[in-house]
Amino acid sequence: MAERKPPSAAAWPPRAALTVLNHDLPRVDGPAKVSGRARYTHDVRLPGMLYARVLCCPLPCAEVTLDLAPARKIPGVEGVIELMTGKTGYLGQPVAAVAARTPEQAEDGLRAIVLTLVPKPWAVDHAQATAEGAPKAGRNGNVSKENVAGDAKDAEAAIAGADAVVEATYTLPVQHHACLETHGVVVDYRGGDQATVYCSTQGTFTVLDDAPGELGLKSSQVTAIVDHMGGGFGSKFGIGIEGKAACMLSKQLGKPVHLMLERPDEFVTAGNRSGSRQTLRAGASRDGKLLGFVGDVTKLGGTGGGSFPGSRPYIYSFEKSCVRVRSVYTHTDSARAMRAPGHPQASFAMESLVDELAAKLAMDPLEFRKRNLKDPVYRRHLDAVAREIGWPDHPNKTAPAALADGIGVGIGFAVSTWGGGGGDGCEVDVRIDRDGSVVASVGTQDLGTGVRTYVAAIVAEEFGLPLDAVVARIGDSRLASATPSGGSTTTASLAPSVKNGAAKLRGMFAERLAKTMGVDEARLRFAGGRVADEQDSKKSLSWQQACAVLGQEGLSARGTHQSDLAANGIHGAQAAKVRVDTLTGRIEVLKMVCMQDCGLPLNRMAIRSQIQGGMVQALSYGLLEERVIDPQSGWALNANLEDYKIAHPLEIPEMVALIDDEDARGVIGLAEATVIPGHGAIANAVFNACGARIRDLPMTPDKVLAALGKVG
Amino acid sequence: MSRTSKTGDPNPSPLSRRNFLKGAGGVATGGVIAQGLLAGSLGEEGAAAGDVEELSGEVEIALEINGEPRKVKVEPRTTLLGALRDRLEPPLTGAKLVCDRGQCGACTVHVDGRPAYACMLLAVDLRGRKIRTIEGLGSPAALAPLQASFWKHDASMCGFCTPGFVMAIQACLEKNPRAGLAEIRAGCAGNACRCGTQPQIFAAALEAATQLSKGGK
Repeated sequence: MAERKPPSAAAWPPRAALTVLNHDLPRVDGPAKVSGRARYTHDVRLPGMLYARVLCCPLPCAEVTLDLAPARKIPGVEGVIELMTGKTGYLGQPVAAVAARTPEQAEDGLRAIVLTLVPKPWAVDHAQATAEGAPKAGRNGNVSKENVAGDAKDAEAAIAGADAVVEATYTLPVQHHACLETHGVVVDYRGGDQATVYCSTQGTFTVLDDAPGELGLKSSQVTAIVDHMGGGFGSKFGIGIEGKAACMLSKQLGKPVHLMLERPDEFVTAGNRSGSRQTLRAGASRDGKLLGFVGDVTKLGGTGGGSFPGSRPYIYSFEKSCVRVRSVYTHTDSARAMRAPGHPQASFAMESLVDELAAKLAMDPLEFRKRNLKDPVYRRHLDAVAREIGWPDHPNKTAPAALADGIGVGIGFAVSTWGGGGGDGCEVDVRIDRDGSVVASVGTQDLGTGVRTYVAAIVAEEFGLPLDAVVARIGDSRLASATPSGGSTTTASLAPSVKNGAAKLRGMFAERLAKTMGVDEARLRFAGGRVADEQDSKKSLSWQQACAVLGQEGLSARGTHQSDLAANGIHGAQAAKVRVDTLTGRIEVLKMVCMQDCGLPLNRMAIRSQIQGGMVQALSYGLLEERVIDPQSGWALNANLEDYKIAHPLEIPEMVALIDDEDARGVIGLAEATVIPGHGAIANAVFNACGARIRDLPMTPDKVLAALGKVG
Repeated sequence: MSRTSKTGDPNPSPLSRRNFLKGAGGVATGGVIAQGLLAGSLGEEGAAAGDVEELSGEVEIALEINGEPRKVKVEPRTTLLGALRDRLEPPLTGAKLVCDRGQCGACTVHVDGRPAYACMLLAVDLRGRKIRTIEGLGSPAALAPLQASFWKHDASMCGFCTPGFVMAIQACLEKNPRAGLAEIRAGCAGNACRCGTQPQIFAAALEAATQLSKGGK
């Protein structure tokens, strides 16, 4: 064990000395999840609970009037509320809500509402929004002011001096988070001065921002519970309009109200990843150096601005560049953060562009990338994924393969970056009781990343205990404060606080035990479930014996954020191998590989799961997903999980997740980085396989055939 | 079990569609559809073509769930998923409501040993059938081999799809304990996971298949 430091300065032990962390740890809540016992907000059932439904406006823009009286007459319906009337601002805007004794009765109530719509002109896509005389979707028109970085003349001059120039437009559709647990809450307010709000959210404490005001209570009178939550991906902060409706109904009726969005509503009113249109022009020298870059980017984020990372070319270094970014507004729900907001859009266009330049220069796309990435970590990662995917033996590196029977096999690459650092805001109470119990408590939430497990694991490591000797309590606003989970900041914010608290407590416990055992405190070693004098093995207590010296008040300490235990700034590279049938246009992904750095890996298995999950989502985005709204009728055409398809088992290729163990830094969050490059790598692999350059996601078979000149 | 006793009313009054429509007020359409489906499915059970049972409002029915007789009040249109999650006391919430239209597999249960989407079945049709839910497979303290394998391989992240995947693959392995990757993938092809745990799910299923084919439980 590392030399003991003062309690205020905990340090991660050397990796070789770790017995719990940096290993494969089955999740502590795994048994509850695999047996169906984990309780999500959707599963909360309370005595006298009512089921509520929200009525969403089916048109993008309309003058709405409501007659709620018929709904009130439906048997079982106990409450009907208006959420808005007048002119709606977006497709799917909630206009009313109903609470009833059963879900079926709530649906009856919803259907009984007389909704009168006078359609108003709308704009639901880029073309409609930018047409002359288009109806206004944004507050100040449909196109925002430009954000320009760099000098266009310098960049154009650099391009003019290039040996190879590519100009192309890349488009990415609006994507949905498609969380399997829809957005929603159960509000339990039966009058009086106490309420409990169960919420499917990425921030336990964000519930206390919204709910108390709606209930007419103070935040000290409201408890937020997030025991388990079924996916958020950036879309779930606060309680949302649906949560406000549930608060209003619960307050009005004095009963618990369960309001989870229906799947079709989830698709139109619960956020999305903004679409993107990027017209890029870039030049490179004969020897493969990137010279000039001009980018014209629009974000399509509904009534919101959408996301795009920074104002420079994404990751790759050009000598001169100029990037213009603006938002186009439509009458659709506002984009929300979605796993690495803006980055997957930027990455796809940039990685495609870089690949096109390499092809024009007949250069190996892997070498071309390595030459233009300043950070050496990328070169290490690219080499690793190239080896794993079989690039060294791949026959056609600089041109599409010669096709046999119309089938091509190709490999493509892409890289990613993210912050992943943390900050203040998480505090953790660690407590030992005299029966040997150890509990770490913090109000944080687990989105599926394995927070519960690493909270327990860090404490177990500190005391030389097995993982199952520590209980992690989370998801409750009565516990110590925690920040919401956004931007992959949770691990780097929370883990240092857990470590800090555990180290403080170990110091306190060691001081106590030193007196009892008659051993110098500095010589006490916590390992293997025992506390022992490292110089005299006869002076040793089992964990139970050691804890028995405590009084009934036990021993506890509160950990606070210690910034030197975390770091910031990560890298990743991915490779994809595909098989393209040029007769049908079908793309089959055969294998994906990712190498990712993340500082100290707390739970290697959970990290590999994050990496693979990122690749799965990128594959799904690249090949399958696209929100479709008919511009004429204004209807959402694929607001269900059949027509809006996400990757299913038959689409999943072999996947290899590699953790970069050369990264010696403290903990860093990695989830977002892993979703950034996969679809770009697939697009480049498709080109390498058959020469079809797909610049428009999703890469459906018709687009492959069109790119090959076989159709339209 | 006699037909009339299924309503739970010892002296069932003759129900007519007209009565049903009157009672249902403004929701006639839903009622008619539900009755149509009900009549059709009862016919499938072997009832004579003219022997149509009409139900209205809430009726108490008996279901066999995880080997136990359970009584539950449902409407004719209540799905099995609705009965399990919202009407049973205490409820069984392991099967998840995600799409409500048979598109995602999150509500997969077993009916007479075969996998089925609970959101696509009417509870009243399940009288006399053996229903098994995720809760009937194993408990946190005594996981079934496939569940233990899911845990070991980290085949659950947010975990919302997990019960459905476990039940789909369990059915697949009960049909063929020697199932390979292709069969396992086909066996859960209708199940969606947004976190992207499919690679771990395949690993878990393959390991469980190996154990089962060696004579495990």
